[in-house]
Amino acid sequence: MAQVTAAALDELAIQRAKGGDLAALERVYRAYEGTVYGVAHRICRTPEEAEEVLQETFLEVCRSIKRFRGSAPGSLTAWIKRVASSKALIRIRREKYRDTEVLEEDSGWAGRRDGDVGLRMDLEAALAQLSETSRAVVWLHDVEGYTHEEIAEQMGKTVSFSKSQLSRAHARLRMMLGEEAGC
Amino acid sequence: MLRHCTISELLEVRDGEGTATARAHVEQCEACGAELDRLHQRVAALRALPRHSPPRDRWPAVREAFVSARRRRRWSYTSWAGLAAAAGLVLFVGVNTPPRPAVAASAPEEIASLVEESQQLERVLHSYNRQGRVVNGVTAAAIAELEDRIAVVDVGIDRAQLQAAPHEAVADLWRRRVTLMDRLVNTHVQPVTYVGY
Ligand SMILES: [Zn+2]
Repeated sequence: MAQVTAAALDELAIQRAKGGDLAALERVYRAYEGTVYGVAHRICRTPEEAEEVLQETFLEVCRSIKRFRGSAPGSLTAWIKRVASSKALIRIRREKYRDTEVLEEDSGWAGRRDGDVGLRMDLEAALAQLSETSRAVVWLHDVEGYTHEEIAEQMGKTVSFSKSQLSRAHARLRMMLGEEAGC
Repeated sequence: MLRHCTISELLEVRDGEGTATARAHVEQCEACGAELDRLHQRVAALRALPRHSPPRDRWPAVREAFVSARRRRRWSYTSWAGLAAAAGLVLFVGVNTPPRPAVAASAPEEIASLVEESQQLERVLHSYNRQGRVVNGVTAAAIAELEDRIAVVDVGIDRAQLQAAPHEAVADLWRRRVTLMDRLVNTHVQPVTYVGY
């Protein structure tokens, strides 16, 4: 979606936005509001928080776009998404997140008849059940295409923390979706 | 490899980082191959989830916050009293404003007290800004983040005032402002090494 709408943002509009032109800044907002809200909604706990992240992200975009130097295609998208994910992740870190999951996620999957648990959920519901950190990592890594290094940097954690959260997220999803081991 | 792969190992194989042993095992083991397929399917399903759209148009609020932040930076921090006046709150800030009562303050009194606290923090901040210190990148980012959030709260205060919102709601916004201002002052005072406010 961002690709299509962002393409409508010509170089002139970006230059004007850099100069602080409000109409041009609104075009940037219109082109990216869906992308930003989409990321924020997956990371934040509530739609209200996601809206606040949307607002804070564009406030920073409005303020900092004059310093944006990228020229490669997609670099504006990447920058704006990065601002959004960083704003959303700061919220997770600010709250003392209650990561109460206790799960031996890495003991191998084979032979575990998770389907018997009776926890077949749809993916949306299963995703919502993950801890905020796990959900953020699986979303940023597997959907948005961030590397573990990028996630670790934004979260202020180590690469191995990001990797273990990804494993944990998949183990939980697999269990909640009731996927059969098949052997 | 005498056992099946763990999820971590499967993720590494998927991402091209797996050990030769793990890769070879997945190639040969039907069960692990199937598990890797399920992993791919799960990710494809995640990517196919519908994207949520913002329930409301936030551009007017962003625009307002941006314009007021820009104005605020031009005025410098000492002009905050002017902004409070514009919001109609100067009524509560008398010369003899009593100290913030510990218990059972009425909302207007609490607001007056919070406005004063906010102004005091602005003055402290101004004295720090005048020193023209150079801050590191992390600190600068933390400061920008807090300033953005303060600007968002300021817009809320303006709106609450225009809509004659209940005192409690206004007091709540001022409480948030004071908390954020306090963090901002602390961020100026102490170099940030960890952005975990
Ligand atoms: Zn196997």
